[in-house]
Amino acid sequence: MNDLLNLLIGLAMGLNLVALGTSRLPSLIRIAALQGMVLGIMPLVMEHELRVMLLAVAVATVSMKGLVIPALLRRAMRTANIDRDLDPLIGFLPSLLLGAAGMIGAVVLARRLPLRPEHHESLLVAGALASVLAGLLLLIGRSKAISQVCGYLILENGIYLFGLLLIHSTPLLVEGGILLDLTVAVFVIGIIVDRIQRAFDSLDTRKLTVLRE
Amino acid sequence: MTMGQLMALAILVLVAATLSGPRLPRVWLALTLAGTAALLGAALWALGGSAVWDWRSGFAVGGERLHFRLDAVSAWFLTLVAIVGGAGAVYTREYWPDHERPESAGRGRAWWSALVLCMGLVLQCANGLHFLMAWEAFALSAFFLITLERDRRETRAAGWLYLAASHAGTLGLFAFFSLLAARTGSWDLGPMKDHPELAPLFWVALFGFGVKAGLFPLHIWLPSAHANAPSQVSAIMSGVAIKMGLYGLVRFSGWLPLPAGAGWAVLALGAVSAVLGAAFTLAQSDLKRLLAYCSVENMGVILIGLGVGLLGAANGDTTWGRVAMAGALLHVWNHGLFKSLLFLAAGSVLHATGTREMSRLGGLWRAMPWTAGLFGFGAVAISALPPLNGFVSEWLVYLGLFDAAAGHVPVAVAIVPAAIALGVTGALALAAFVKAAAMVFLGAARTQNAAHAHECGWWMRAPMLTLAAACVGLALAPVVVWPFLRQPLGAWNPAWRGGEPPAPLAALGALQAALAALVAAAAGALWLRARANGLRRALTWDCGYAAPTTRMQYTSGSFAALAVGWFAWALRPERWLRWPRGPFPSRADHVERIPETVLERAIGPVSEVVMAASAWMRRRQQGRLPDYIFYLVAGLAAVGALVVFGGM
Repeated sequence: MNDLLNLLIGLAMGLNLVALGTSRLPSLIRIAALQGMVLGIMPLVMEHELRVMLLAVAVATVSMKGLVIPALLRRAMRTANIDRDLDPLIGFLPSLLLGAAGMIGAVVLARRLPLRPEHHESLLVAGALASVLAGLLLLIGRSKAISQVCGYLILENGIYLFGLLLIHSTPLLVEGGILLDLTVAVFVIGIIVDRIQRAFDSLDTRKLTVLRE
Repeated sequence: MTMGQLMALAILVLVAATLSGPRLPRVWLALTLAGTAALLGAALWALGGSAVWDWRSGFAVGGERLHFRLDAVSAWFLTLVAIVGGAGAVYTREYWPDHERPESAGRGRAWWSALVLCMGLVLQCANGLHFLMAWEAFALSAFFLITLERDRRETRAAGWLYLAASHAGTLGLFAFFSLLAARTGSWDLGPMKDHPELAPLFWVALFGFGVKAGLFPLHIWLPSAHANAPSQVSAIMSGVAIKMGLYGLVRFSGWLPLPAGAGWAVLALGAVSAVLGAAFTLAQSDLKRLLAYCSVENMGVILIGLGVGLLGAANGDTTWGRVAMAGALLHVWNHGLFKSLLFLAAGSVLHATGTREMSRLGGLWRAMPWTAGLFGFGAVAISALPPLNGFVSEWLVYLGLFDAAAGHVPVAVAIVPAAIALGVTGALALAAFVKAAAMVFLGAARTQNAAHAHECGWWMRAPMLTLAAACVGLALAPVVVWPFLRQPLGAWNPAWRGGEPPAPLAALGALQAALAALVAAAAGALWLRARANGLRRALTWDCGYAAPTTRMQYTSGSFAALAVGWFAWALRPERWLRWPRGPFPSRADHVERIPETVLERAIGPVSEVVMAASAWMRRRQQGRLPDYIFYLVAGLAAVGALVVFGGM
């Protein structure tokens, strides 16, 4: 069971690196969606018996993160008429290297943290930290609003992984609530992206600095 | 009428004066004079009897009940506020009238009354919170008075510097009063000698009040503010406002328990202020800036007296400490009177010639005999020459120092350097005032402005004459002051209550009077002789040069060059020299400037570093969201690193 879980987390961590390395927006969205779906089936792997509620949340997570949110983002991308993040603040290779370094750092850090005995063998904490770092790296390093949204999604996936540590004590309803928040946020961002594109003729957030301080 | 009613009357009249200031100059003058007279009456009443006016109201401001208290220490300073406040108000009528200064005359009148009122309140507030409020109002009214002429760039700069320095000091006072209130559990002020844990607060008070008092490293605001303010404002700032800082020190050193080194620190600070203040005084070429630095020097002299007084009180001695403290308190009055007089005379010069630069003046005594005479009088007094009043107070401080040194007490080792510092100060101050009086009033006029000077009118002359008369009174009959002087002494240190005047004070009066009579007789004889024989006027020997001009006289820089050289380590004079070259030299220059050393060499570079760091940070604040996220990540990583590696 644990092996399967670690395999999935490893897959998610690999997807982080792919996300950091890609310049095309459609593939970035696809990677974020794939990672969301991988995370969505994790609760099913972790629990021994299947409950209706658990199943419902898993299905909702997979459909939201894997279908609805990517669809919203693609729509925004089409209206904004771009499909590449051409001039990132941190280049693709450096961000890939930073992400890899962050992943190693996350594994090392997770070893040092005083965890409960049952989590010692799992990669949950390391994967969560690595995803948070990868998400932050995307937020810092990319210039287009849509790639930053993808960074935000990956960051949220990392937080979701942390949440899985507490799956036995957190009501699944909370997870459902977070999922709803996320969907609404992406929906709003999709509209904002369209507005930014119309107002400034660009999606480069570096130009949105007039309202500073 | 009780003292409380008199005080209430004074406050009400001054409030009315403030309100009438902008529109009604005559009403304002009458009300201000009435208000200051009432203040003076109350102050002398409190000094005359040993009564303390203590008034608690049920009315609360800021959650604290009003508590006013006028004891002898407050009254001693209040006297000065009243006298200079009244004299300056009369002076303003001619010096800063509506028809010459339509923009600022009304504002100036209103803020003047407000300043006098606020200083009166500072002296009476016996609640820490209200003390801070009155203090802030006092600092702000002084700021508005300094910047009356706000279309001039230097005035604005001086005003801002004053405001910044003043608030730095007020910050110290906020810390002081809040800590005091936190430790005693009440904002109420009063004697608290029985709380030994309050002793370290003295250092905070020394900083907060020291900024206002213009002690040497904290004096940075003082020269430019006093030089650029209108002269009546310089007079009250220099004569009275900086004494408020001193009042704070005297007040709280009397009420609070003191740390072990307090007396030494005050004495050392006083010696440094006195000597370096005098050195800077001598080096100045701007008349009002010279007078301003002289205030730093005189505050140093007062602080030396206070320091010896503190040492005396700490050693339980009642003779030398008492004499030095009496000298310090008397010097507060004396300096307030003659420094105001000098600033008013400098204002008269400025009014007549339009410049404060001494090297552009000269020969004014012919056109302005009254001003010249009064300035000369003030210069003799402030140089502490007998038979005038500066000598009386400095003599008492000297006596305290000598008695302490001769008494073989443990403090004698450090007292001797202080006495030497005081002597050096006196010599430098004398040189500085010889220079100032000679540059401005003697010789020949160096510029057209100086040649066309005119004497001031009676509205300006009368307040100067009043101040000079007060100086003469204090000089010739110092014993008369004793009944007043012993009250603040007793209030400051109950062990020194009552008692006979110190013997030197009684002897000094007769000596001074005899000396004055002698000087007057000699001057009379000289005048008669000159009248009988006639005066012969001739050219000064001009080295055979065929075309001498009035610019070929001593300049203030050349007069002071020798002494400036001695103090070059502190003054850091800046010189630009272009030597005359060749057999037919065309042009040569010599420019010399005395920088504000503390401001330009210490505080300036530090603030530049701070500004550069802030500018660097400012560039990082360009509104790009990714950067802010980066800061967050970096901060988180730093905290994480601290957690992970800090435990190792």
